[in-house]
Amino acid sequence: MIVEELVLPVLMVFFMLAAGAYTVAVLDRVIAGALGTPQAGSVWIVPLARGAWLMTQHANATEAPDWRAWRLAPALYLSLAAIGLAVVPWSGSLVATDLATSVVLWGSVEALATVVIFLHGWSANALFALIGGYRYVALGLSYILISMFVLIGVALPAESLQFTQVVASQGELWNLIRQPLGLPLFLIVGLGMTFWGPLNLADSADLAGGTAAEISGPPRLVWDVARAAMLVAFSGVATSAFLGGWLGPWLPGPLWVVIKMLAVLLVLLLLGRLLPRLAPERCVTLMWVVLLPLSFIDLVWAGVGALL
Amino acid sequence: MESMNHGIGVDIAFLLLATLAVVTAWRVFRTDSMVRASFFLLVSFIAVGVIMILLAAEYLGVAMFFMMAVEMTVMALFMVMFMMNPAGLNPMNMVHQERISIGAGVVSFLVLSAMALLAVFPDRPVSAGLDPVRSLGNEMLGDSMLIFESAGLVLLTTMIGVVVLSSHRGRYGAATEGSLPPGLESGGDPAGKPEEDEDGEDGGHHHHHH
Repeated sequence: MIVEELVLPVLMVFFMLAAGAYTVAVLDRVIAGALGTPQAGSVWIVPLARGAWLMTQHANATEAPDWRAWRLAPALYLSLAAIGLAVVPWSGSLVATDLATSVVLWGSVEALATVVIFLHGWSANALFALIGGYRYVALGLSYILISMFVLIGVALPAESLQFTQVVASQGELWNLIRQPLGLPLFLIVGLGMTFWGPLNLADSADLAGGTAAEISGPPRLVWDVARAAMLVAFSGVATSAFLGGWLGPWLPGPLWVVIKMLAVLLVLLLLGRLLPRLAPERCVTLMWVVLLPLSFIDLVWAGVGALL
Repeated sequence: MESMNHGIGVDIAFLLLATLAVVTAWRVFRTDSMVRASFFLLVSFIAVGVIMILLAAEYLGVAMFFMMAVEMTVMALFMVMFMMNPAGLNPMNMVHQERISIGAGVVSFLVLSAMALLAVFPDRPVSAGLDPVRSLGNEMLGDSMLIFESAGLVLLTTMIGVVVLSSHRGRYGAATEGSLPPGLESGGDPAGKPEEDEDGEDGGHHHHHH
């Protein structure tokens, strides 16, 4: 019993963290190569070599940081990604944590990520890291709101806050088609919460690396792995919420989940490579003036659909 | 759902979480930074949230996580903004009005302990098929859903309205006109600005301003 309820789910999540982060690293390099950025070495080896190199490097220190928070923040962000991966169902019965409120738990992961990213920037006791942290809080609130409305939208037809029920409710029609605004909005939130590509404002180059400006060595490795793993968690949740999760013909359910997650990751990483970075002020305006009202419309759409 | 016969794991988890909640709540008052104090309080609330999940209050426990996460972030940031403590990293004392606080703490501890020990709690086992999330929703919102939702919408509209009305009026004037500090006497030049070189333009010779 303890093996089935504790050991297997934990092993599953650990495997997903490692395999997912590696997949993101490889896929991102493949896309960069295809778009014309020359890649030195094999895309399969380079991420591993960089990880090994970071492990051997010295971990940078700043003047009087909050050591505990500074060292814990990358690990906590990784743990949040792990919680996200734990609620993604692989089939009707194969899911690490089938909590009755798993959709709300995912919402909490997004809210707690704001705390962790802010702590990461704040605790370094360095200027650029601090600005990055504040910048993320200012933007993170709008990401959370958009995500909440979109997720309430998928909970409505399922009449449940459980991801397995949300997937089961998409038997006839995926939410991708039933609520066409949902997935695009959710993917934007995903890029924002992992500060990836066009929405990389917390760790951006204009802040010399932002919250991660002062970290090197093993903490940098954990932070990079955590961001990649969070992107994978987002693709898993998007798969369950909008793409019908394990549902699909011919192939076994878990394989469908893998295929759909890879498709979502591909879209996210392509967007990350193709779009230029937004200015933070414009990004706030875009979130509050355009995307948040769109998420209201999505919710009303979902509500009317659930009533009919 | 098991009613009384829970496993030893639940007991161990409860004791660990209760200890975590009490220790971090104590650290809130012993630390010297508002940001640290806020996030220690957040850890304490999260531990309480997990205990609520152990008590089969799945929605309330998880709701505690996201509500407190956002709340503590906003609280930490606002305290830093209003307290003029750059970034909240400077050491400062986290306690005040110590005598009243100690008195209030002792009294509430005694009252709550007495309630826990002396009160007669009802023993009404729930049916195994009860869905806690649905029944909580019906209990809280059953007949008053329309009122509750309307009030929520009105509050949200009010908040957005207040932000829209007040966001253009900054401390030093309208945000669209740039922010200049007011003069030391009314109508005077902005305070804290170096005096302009008067003969720079009139005297016919051009300085390079650096």
